[in-house]
Amino acid sequence: MASLIFARSSLLPLVRTLKNTTTAELITLRNKSAIIQCLALQNNQNRFYATEKKVYQRVKPHCNVGTIGHVDHGKTTLTAAITKVLSDQKLAEAKKYADIDNAPEEKARGITINVAHIEYQTENRHYGHTDCPGHADYIKNMITGAAQMDGAILVVAATDGVMPQTREHLLLAKQIGVNHIVVFINKVDAADSEMVELVEMEIRELMTEMGFDGDNVPVICGSALCALDGKEPEIGSKPILKLLEEVDKHIPTPVRDLDKPFLLPVEHVYSIPGRGTVVTGRLERGVVKKGTDCEFVGYSKTFKSTISGIEMFHQILDEAQAGDQLGALVRGVKRDDVRRGMVMCKPGSVKSIDHIESQVYILSKEEGGRSKPITSYVQLQMFSRTWDCSCQVIVPDKEMIMPGEDSKLVLKMMRPMVLEQGQRFTLRDGSITLGTGVVTKVLRQLTESERIELTEGKKARDKRLAAAAESK
Amino acid sequence: MMFSKAFARYLHLNSSCWASEKSLLASLRKKTGYTFTNCKKALEMHSNDLVKAESWLHQQAQALGWSKATKLEGRNTSQGLVAVAVNKTDAAIVEVNCETDFVARNKAFQEMAEAAAKACLKYAEKQPHLRGPLTKIGLDSDQLSHLPTTSGKLLSDELALMIGSLGENASLRRALCLKVDTNVHLSAYAHPSGTERDNVFLGKFGGLVAIRQKEPKDVDIQALGRNLCQHVVGMDPKKVGTSFDKPNANPDDETCLIHQEYINDNNATVQEVLEQHGIEVIDFKRFECGEDLCKGFSEQPLAAVETCQ
Repeated sequence: MASLIFARSSLLPLVRTLKNTTTAELITLRNKSAIIQCLALQNNQNRFYATEKKVYQRVKPHCNVGTIGHVDHGKTTLTAAITKVLSDQKLAEAKKYADIDNAPEEKARGITINVAHIEYQTENRHYGHTDCPGHADYIKNMITGAAQMDGAILVVAATDGVMPQTREHLLLAKQIGVNHIVVFINKVDAADSEMVELVEMEIRELMTEMGFDGDNVPVICGSALCALDGKEPEIGSKPILKLLEEVDKHIPTPVRDLDKPFLLPVEHVYSIPGRGTVVTGRLERGVVKKGTDCEFVGYSKTFKSTISGIEMFHQILDEAQAGDQLGALVRGVKRDDVRRGMVMCKPGSVKSIDHIESQVYILSKEEGGRSKPITSYVQLQMFSRTWDCSCQVIVPDKEMIMPGEDSKLVLKMMRPMVLEQGQRFTLRDGSITLGTGVVTKVLRQLTESERIELTEGKKARDKRLAAAAESK
Repeated sequence: MMFSKAFARYLHLNSSCWASEKSLLASLRKKTGYTFTNCKKALEMHSNDLVKAESWLHQQAQALGWSKATKLEGRNTSQGLVAVAVNKTDAAIVEVNCETDFVARNKAFQEMAEAAAKACLKYAEKQPHLRGPLTKIGLDSDQLSHLPTTSGKLLSDELALMIGSLGENASLRRALCLKVDTNVHLSAYAHPSGTERDNVFLGKFGGLVAIRQKEPKDVDIQALGRNLCQHVVGMDPKKVGTSFDKPNANPDDETCLIHQEYINDNNATVQEVLEQHGIEVIDFKRFECGEDLCKGFSEQPLAAVETCQ
């Protein structure tokens, strides 16, 4: 199926190139298509989980990192070098430059996010490595949560120094919530020590200016190309290992879901005669034991209870862990008190929110979205966890959002629901999915009058806004 | 490579010069912003004379930019900006492309797009207004590169300079200039509308709308024109449409401007809004950055409308 889609989407660009090529070039073109076919095959191998596939060993904590930097400064070479150096220690599978730099093929396939995911591990941790070509791709990566980056490696070439757009790269890091950055000064084989030193100074200065801790950012100098070719270990493989060591040290391991306070979005509620009320759902995070105190939050209600029993597949469970689909017997709760969409959680760990700021990606028409742009005050249905609620959309810094664009959105909900920073949600209008997003900030609760304003019509709102503008 | 090794040895022998040279290189880089490699070369060629090195760098910038531009030529540029500028009866809309959207957010690139829009506007002002309410002049990337900017340089030279400093391929893709009669109002809009510099609108999408007051009515033509232009950018109509065009059964698939739902009020169609204000849309043009041109930059939806006049 995937190869079919790929073949179909690669057809168009091929036909386009065909038009421009003379017959003499046809042979090269055929070669090219052969390459593309090969790649397609490889992609398929990656995508389909064959039976003889290795089982992922969960022995080391996992951490997601990514590379950012100018196109020519060697991000991909560095990634390839990391896998090469680690593969010498049997910690990764060596990837060639061409295997990682999949941007042309990805583009031809019309994929939504242009991204390369590579995995490797050090002595201490297991890493997922993300590399995207553009700002929008990183943002989409963050919104869809494919791999939320815990830290980043900023790559700068010693020959060029900081580029004007490095500022934009650091801004992006801020925007997607990456606070831990390790700098790699690349191409030191083509520069001298003096230049390297100056480049380092420049980076520290810029990072401080952009609000990072520039003086204490680890900076490693080396040559990814030398490491890849296995030449000059002093500037080749050694700095790569040093870089990974710094990444190990400097970028903190994210808190595992298991260690967080427990939370279970309620899917169904049953009343079992003689026993009481049972709520079911998948435990999203944390650990639940029999006898734990819990709290139900949602639909503007909050009340406490105790879990008096846990069952999974009709068997009694002493302790349920994140990911388990379970039923929990709760003490002193009537069936009508709880309903789908509420969450059962550790008391005090979550709150009902009705006003948030979010980063949202609006699907393009080809991806199943609608063709019309989204403007302020439109009312959409918001889905998250097991609940849905209609909300009003405010577009803060633009006048509209075009399909295929990402943007900041302020959402005002008709009623408070359980929401927290980092929670993902979907926006729908009727039967069409418009977009998907992630909560970036919780804003103050709406006042009573603001909530009433949510439901007013366009005429009333225009009148109110005009009056407000006049009184100013 | 060899150069740097030779230099390293030189440094080793004369460690006393080390400090002064370091600050020289640093200050030259800080002052000019050119890459370290070039700054270094400049200093070496002029035996560490800062003033001479700097002037040499400025002289070389153009050549270096061109050599970089030639080196990067052929790399795919699908990101970038659309710049729209209007001056009374003349207007221009230009698309400038680059490789990554990081660069499109950079000031240097935005200045380039602005310069290109201004150059086109100047060019439009010089062209004769042929006939009828509206004259259109399309420019391709070759014609664009030969336009002079307001500072007298060629646009292609400016572009090469920018490529030299940003290190990414960039191209002037296309432009369209409009000239209209004095009774026609031109409106410009760019989305996202955040960046506006000196009357030039910059964004990923850009639009121009030419409207004319049919019946004298008290209308804020400025605001209405802008909203209509926003509509064009947002709803992507393919043609203005006439009374012969039947509205599409599904309003979401409507490509005829006058039958589309008005973006600012989804209870009305554009036609209703136009009639209410006694306005007619003569023509519009919409550019989307990186949009596929195979489906017809040549077959303009407006041509049909012009003949209807």
